[in-house]
Amino acid sequence: MEFGPIFRSLLRSRARVILIVAEVALTLAIVANCLSLILDTRAQLAKPSGFDDEHLIAIQATPFDDRLRDPKILDQLVEQDRRTLRAVAGVRAVSHTSLRPWERSGSITAVRLPGTRNEPARTQSAEADPGLFDTLGLPIVQGRGFTQAEYDQGGDAPLSEVQPVVVSRALADHLYPGGGAVGKPIADADESQRFTIVGIVDHFYNPFGETSEKIMLLPARSASFDYGSRYLVRTQGNPAPLMPQLEKALLGVEKGRFIKLRTTVENRDEYHGRDRLLVGSLNAVMALLVLVTALGIVGLTSFSVAERQRQIGTRRALGADRLAIVRHFLLENWMVTSFGVVLGVLLAYGLNFGIVTWVAGARLSAATVAAGALALWTIGLGAALGPALRGARVQPAIATRNV
Amino acid sequence: MLTYNLRLAWKSVRRYPVLSALILLGIALGVGVSTTFITAYHVLARDPVPGKSESLYYVRMNSWGAADDPFLQTPPPIVTWRDAQELLKSRIPVHSTATFASRGTVFPADGARPLRQSLRLATADFFPMFAVPFRYGGPWSREADAKPETVAVIDSALNDRLFGGADSVGRTIRVEKAELRIVGVLAPWRPRVRAFGLFGSPLQAPESIFLPLALTGPMALQPNEGQMNWRTPAPGEDKLPYASRLMVNEILFLGFWAELPNPESVKAYKSFLDAYVTEQKKHGRFPHPLNNRLTSILDLMAELKVVPPQTKALAAISLLFLVVAALNLIGLFLGKFLARASTVGVRRALGASRWTIFVQHLVECELMGLAGGALGVLLSLAGLAVLNRVYGDGPAGVAFFQLDVPMVLAAVILSLLAGAIAGLYPAWRICAIPPARHLKSQ
Amino acid sequence: MPMLKLDNVSKIYRTGLVETRALRDFSLTVDEGEFVTITGPSGSGKTTFLNVSGLLDAFEQGKYWLDGMDVSRLSDREMSRVRNEKIGFIFQGFNLLPDLDVFDNVDVPLRYRRLPAKERKARIEKAIAMVGLSSRLRHLPSQLSGGQQQRVAIARVLAGDPKLILADEPTGNLDSAMAREIMEILEQVNEARTTIIMVTHNPEHAARAHRQLHIADGRLVDFERITPFPLNRVEREISSRQVAG
Repeated sequence: MEFGPIFRSLLRSRARVILIVAEVALTLAIVANCLSLILDTRAQLAKPSGFDDEHLIAIQATPFDDRLRDPKILDQLVEQDRRTLRAVAGVRAVSHTSLRPWERSGSITAVRLPGTRNEPARTQSAEADPGLFDTLGLPIVQGRGFTQAEYDQGGDAPLSEVQPVVVSRALADHLYPGGGAVGKPIADADESQRFTIVGIVDHFYNPFGETSEKIMLLPARSASFDYGSRYLVRTQGNPAPLMPQLEKALLGVEKGRFIKLRTTVENRDEYHGRDRLLVGSLNAVMALLVLVTALGIVGLTSFSVAERQRQIGTRRALGADRLAIVRHFLLENWMVTSFGVVLGVLLAYGLNFGIVTWVAGARLSAATVAAGALALWTIGLGAALGPALRGARVQPAIATRNV
Repeated sequence: MLTYNLRLAWKSVRRYPVLSALILLGIALGVGVSTTFITAYHVLARDPVPGKSESLYYVRMNSWGAADDPFLQTPPPIVTWRDAQELLKSRIPVHSTATFASRGTVFPADGARPLRQSLRLATADFFPMFAVPFRYGGPWSREADAKPETVAVIDSALNDRLFGGADSVGRTIRVEKAELRIVGVLAPWRPRVRAFGLFGSPLQAPESIFLPLALTGPMALQPNEGQMNWRTPAPGEDKLPYASRLMVNEILFLGFWAELPNPESVKAYKSFLDAYVTEQKKHGRFPHPLNNRLTSILDLMAELKVVPPQTKALAAISLLFLVVAALNLIGLFLGKFLARASTVGVRRALGASRWTIFVQHLVECELMGLAGGALGVLLSLAGLAVLNRVYGDGPAGVAFFQLDVPMVLAAVILSLLAGAIAGLYPAWRICAIPPARHLKSQ
Repeated sequence: MPMLKLDNVSKIYRTGLVETRALRDFSLTVDEGEFVTITGPSGSGKTTFLNVSGLLDAFEQGKYWLDGMDVSRLSDREMSRVRNEKIGFIFQGFNLLPDLDVFDNVDVPLRYRRLPAKERKARIEKAIAMVGLSSRLRHLPSQLSGGQQQRVAIARVLAGDPKLILADEPTGNLDSAMAREIMEILEQVNEARTTIIMVTHNPEHAARAHRQLHIADGRLVDFERITPFPLNRVEREISSRQVAG
């Protein structure tokens, strides 16, 4: 092919070449970094909770009627609520628990192996009834869940008593890396309270605080006048249509309280909202940028074709067929784009260095840069194709037209 | 001459409608995208309490109990009730306050169904410190804090709801079991970043009812936004009402702010804190090495990454986007100008100077820049509307991200700049070519 | 053996409703090794004749044989190939590619012929030497005088070693000294049995050819027979005396 002459001729139309090279380079730098940020964030968005999110409703019932300050009445109310909710058609399971999936809310506690001075592990902790595992759709993979008896006395158990707990695999493995955690003891950081692991759930993911995969579940009622009581409801089908009915049912049991219902999917979407927004923004910026750059290349190549009509005619007179003209422009464009891509790769790493140093984020992976480079090559060639085809339609007879 | 140049520019736009539309679109996209993300950054990063950020300091002390846990080497972000009470006694700061968020039930006088409302407990200094705007009345007095008096300040939305927007100062509102006398009603107030709630949810709207911190115990109010506890309650202690435990125990739940107007007062306050902690050590508290922190608002915002790093990255990327758009325009303008090189030749032959030609073409670029910029501002309104769908958690009618005057000015400057960057070289090229060449190529 | 044979060729330009017949039942035979000049007023069809015989433009009616090969209805690809291998063009405006230097300009047709680099280089250097520009290999067209530019264009033709050279007023943009120089080179080339058809306005140059032709109104006229007859008579007379193969 005619690399040499095209290269030498490019050196002489500097403005156009510099523009395309700069545009391609900057675009590649931006696209690669956007891609990197998107991949980074998408990995977060894709993490599943391990729960049956699509069929869950979280209910918060906060009392205001003074009668409900009596803990006994509150406890009775929990039993009634549970029965009532379970009786609603379309409800599959109900749990009274302080666990709040995807709500960025909860409780963090530090635990360690009793008798050791290891650095305590920070874990989420929540109170739950025996029905929680069924409701979340979170199977116990080792050991067992809670018994009704454990649950009934859990809230009132003195601190000195050893409490049964169910923990997530992440916490069990952290405390007992060798396995066999079921039946083993744990204690809180100052060993004022002791627990025995009775069961392990496999996959748990609920981002909150500094830990998202560690949880310790205790069998206890978590109702109080100030913080109210919370229920998770698992439905058979789409949960949203059931919500008015559930609210009515709970108010029917006791109307001296506020009832707030939300689907877990809503909570999850809210949790992901900003990350999704980020991914959306980055996608939009990338798409618009590629559009602008492609338009730029189309524009510049069109001008260069229009400017060189007579040249094209001459080349045709000298024996170039249409394909040769198309090839000429594509090759020329490919060379310019390639300069841009090479410069863009450097620029992409530079920009990434800046972002990582001054802002935050992950290092650019070679695969991401390669994908960006490939995309720009394709875009460059695609954008030049139209003008090149137009160039090929120039009649050779134009060469004999006199000035 | 300017009107003549504008007319020429307009003619040129009409002569190349598609090309001109592309140029317009390019500038609009560049300005729109960058204005959107720079506004998002600006709204989050700007000074949350204008004029005060230099003098408002957040206080942290390491009151964790002794434990061989690296986590406990860092001072907790909040302080205990008893430490807050001692710090409040210091007269070194111009103002100081301890504050926490809670929730409570409001019982309307007409017996209608109660409302669950967010509450903020604080001392009287809170209002001047954070420049809280009032519509009626004002803050309660320091005496009201001391006694304490059952008083409250409510926000405009609640005032609208309960009192139809009338001046409700002097009337009462029942929160939980307490009848509170309203001393002030806020003007509509939506700081995008709430400086006083940086550790909780910094982007949320402020609470709707403000009451004296000293009412925490009497009204049995509990913290809603985060509390920390390292000490296991003594036997029987956990049977006490929670609010009483807050007062006597080592539970951490208060944010503490001090207004220190000059370096001397900062220094004095620092030694005051150190002296306080050293004194407490004698009583067996504060077992960790002396590690008190006084942090200004802007430093704290940086530490807590109130502006998400991605927002910064997006703002930077969107500026680069504008650069690419401008580069693009250089090419388009160049093509457009060179296409009519012959008419420029005629103009030159008829006596136009290089400078005249240069100005004529630059005017055209700037005209396109401004028009594209105006379109870009409209685009950014659409962009911000999309962002607001996610961030819009404020009171009804308040969009979280709004264009303000500085941002519109920035957009205008950006579009002029884009026009200049894009136009300078093409305008120079067209005016630098000798006129004879233009004439020949006709 | 005829190098070029046109038989009753017509070329019609249509713009909207107006139809212009640029060539009318045009027939001509040029033998190998001939040097033919063509004169005629502007708009008479000279350029159309060059475009058609150079395969730059298609024609509607008639037949065209070039070097014994029927080239009347070729595809774009085939036409390009014939142009590249058999025909060399010299234009009034030189038509050098402005952003290529002398060497690369001469290289252009050889590239399309896909010759190996070594052979191209040899041919280019030889051709440039023949027109006496060996010292200017890396000059751009804009750095050369008009005569030098036309010599580069001739070198571009010579490098391709065509059988037929079509020259469209090659001296039209040059002063008389330079023009003479160009004519001398063309005559040298012709002596090496390359057929040349040259359109010119210059009667002195036209007279140097083996045969002079005149085109008027899209038809060929015997040069000596141009007489101030009324036009309809001229036409009738010409139709009976058309120069035929």
